[in-house]
Amino acid sequence: MDALYARYPFLEAAREAVAEEAVDLATVVETEPAVVERAASRVEWALETGEVGDPAPDNRVELLSYPVARVLVSLVGERVLVRRYARAEAAVAHERFVADLADTTELKSVDSSGLDLDGLLAEFDLTESVREAPSLAGDATSPAGGSATQSPASATARSSDESTYLLEVGAYLPLAADCWGDEWRLVNRALADGEVPVTETELLTLLQEAVGSRVAEGLPFPDVPDPIADALEAEAADLRELVAELELVREIDTVVPELFPPCMKALLDDIQKGEHLPHHSRFAITAFLSSIGMTTDEIVELYRVNSAFGEQMTRYQTDHIRGETSPTEYSPPSCATMQSYGDCVNMDDLCERIPHPMAYYEQRLDDAEDEDGEIEDWRETLEGEAAE
Amino acid sequence: MEERTRAYLRGRFRDYYRRAEITPPPAPESREWGYIPWTTGPDTRMIRHRSVLDIGDIETFLERERPRHVYYSAGLYEDPGANSMDEKGWQRSDLVFDLDADHLPGVTLGEDSYAEMLATCKDALRRLLDFLEDDFGFENMEIVFSGGRGYHVHVRDERIRHLEREHRREIVDYVRGIGLEFDHLIETETVAGMGRETPTERRILRTSGGWGERLHDRFVSFLDDLLAMDEEAALERLQSFDGIGEGKATAALNAATNNRAAIEAGNVTVHTAIAQLAQRFAERTVEAENAPIDEPVTTDTNRLIRLPGSLHGGSSLAVRRIDRADLTDFDPLVDAVPETFTGHEIRVTVDRGGPVELGGDTFTVTEGEQSVPEHVAMFLMARGRAEKEKETGA
Ligand code: SF4
Repeated sequence: MDALYARYPFLEAAREAVAEEAVDLATVVETEPAVVERAASRVEWALETGEVGDPAPDNRVELLSYPVARVLVSLVGERVLVRRYARAEAAVAHERFVADLADTTELKSVDSSGLDLDGLLAEFDLTESVREAPSLAGDATSPAGGSATQSPASATARSSDESTYLLEVGAYLPLAADCWGDEWRLVNRALADGEVPVTETELLTLLQEAVGSRVAEGLPFPDVPDPIADALEAEAADLRELVAELELVREIDTVVPELFPPCMKALLDDIQKGEHLPHHSRFAITAFLSSIGMTTDEIVELYRVNSAFGEQMTRYQTDHIRGETSPTEYSPPSCATMQSYGDCVNMDDLCERIPHPMAYYEQRLDDAEDEDGEIEDWRETLEGEAAE
Repeated sequence: MEERTRAYLRGRFRDYYRRAEITPPPAPESREWGYIPWTTGPDTRMIRHRSVLDIGDIETFLERERPRHVYYSAGLYEDPGANSMDEKGWQRSDLVFDLDADHLPGVTLGEDSYAEMLATCKDALRRLLDFLEDDFGFENMEIVFSGGRGYHVHVRDERIRHLEREHRREIVDYVRGIGLEFDHLIETETVAGMGRETPTERRILRTSGGWGERLHDRFVSFLDDLLAMDEEAALERLQSFDGIGEGKATAALNAATNNRAAIEAGNVTVHTAIAQLAQRFAERTVEAENAPIDEPVTTDTNRLIRLPGSLHGGSSLAVRRIDRADLTDFDPLVDAVPETFTGHEIRVTVDRGGPVELGGDTFTVTEGEQSVPEHVAMFLMARGRAEKEKETGA
């Protein structure tokens, strides 16, 4: 059992196991450096690579490191860290349960630490909300495993031997809410009689989201008891530094469209021309603009410069992307992601040297400040007009 | 509105509430209640954040207060009478849809009559119900005539009452067809090759539900019409589509003729000309079949909605629940006229005359003093188009 919990520490039963052992977290952090070390590495890895690093050889250490890691994340107290950490734990869990599920056809080792789909669904209270779709008669048959083609990441693609599940719409919507891409939107789904068909691959992606929400639930803890906070102070300080180094929370609050990276200039141009952009492009530009400090109103205002577009629709899309609770809920995609979506255009010299459109813009701002120190924020011109 | 008019309306609202049987929504004690009284002045404010504990039994309350408008919350709370949403402690909400003639495409304000607007609204309601019943498979729905310019649908299906604002927005987008992308309605299947064939990809429109099915139905019936025409007419029809010239039209027609069965099975990508045509249908389908609901009403989990059975203070019509089976025959301008107000005439001074369709009749009211059936008078006074005539002594 320990092996299972160490592998999936977010499980309700794992939490109970920790509680039952009557482990006092304060004692653990004071007396078990291995746990603290592993906890810190979970978070560090999450920040740097989006994974959580190699498990500790000892199951108990591995299991206990999870609640300690959540405390660490709370001590740092940055929303961006909570998000990154939850995403990383979820990604790793996904990798593991995909492997476990693939394993069912083979002989399982005796001390199997695997989780099956039913168990996973039960964990997230989904047993009643999911059922396997009755297989379609007359569907093209193919010899099992005969296809060597890797199923592309796209959610719309599936190999014909993959099973389809029907997920109740009330369960689907919260899980798909943070999934990236228009193919997850309900309007593009074959909804019938209250059920959304999803492929097995998609179902596992949705479960990954469920894990992410579970990990992030309640974080950051509002008040970590002093003895625990004190014992973890050094680790928390290191993490804080790491967050700062990665410039995840650097506050830019200057809007100078002339200095935008080429990709964002192009997207903004398209919007102002009233062109209909695919979701990923809309997402990229809107996330970029809100990351440089723009409010929804300002973004809408900027979009409507020279354009004949429906304000309501734009506002609506904008809010949707920004998230209503936190202005920078979504960080803009990196250059690599922009490239893979074909949104990276007109690359220039500076582009060669930076990994992220935000880095591009920051650099340009710095340069401009160095040159003559006079930067006019687009929003100031806006206020001038409104005052007339 | 003059005081004697207001006093008259108030009095008659009380008579209505004395006789009416009001069935409150389920779990009234967990909901917030609000109402607008018949006070003077332009800044008549809503009194809200009331719980059943504050106002008492609903029927007694209505009879005592005879409010101009009365509402309850879609949301259910731990403490519905608390003054802020935070303190209320949200638990879950009915999912509410609002179709309002003011916001409907196909309604020309100032030109369409009240009856015409309501008829357009009912068409939209039918499309909405199609989504709610077939696509969403909702149970426990209540259809309501709002007493004003439209219809409400309250969904109390336990499987969706936990949904939050952003999730409800997906439902709005779905029924409005916002964000529909043809490419995402297509499913790519990898079909393993037989023998020495290499695996191939089939691109199939998902026809098992959703907008894919709607689009497909429309498309197939369009092709049926097309194939029934003579060739020249068919080609002409095809060329009426944006970006389809003579060459593409011919190609599409040939492809449709040769691949009728494949297309029927969802394989709309058998031929590029067909694929292009099908893509054009996405927009047309949305235009024809979407339900133009008022977005904020559905996404707001704390929304206040009119109480069915109560009177609408802007029309003196009743907010009416409609049995699903009776929907076709329901005529708001007959069935929502409260019986209490029918059967006799009263004297009013009409400021703004014009046609009034009510109770199955059409009246053309002229300006000035006159006797009119009371329900017409109530309607005109509530709308601010008439005043109660001064009493000329006993
Ligand atoms: S390299 Fe990066 S910053 Fe430059 S255009 Fe491409 S995505 Fe934008």
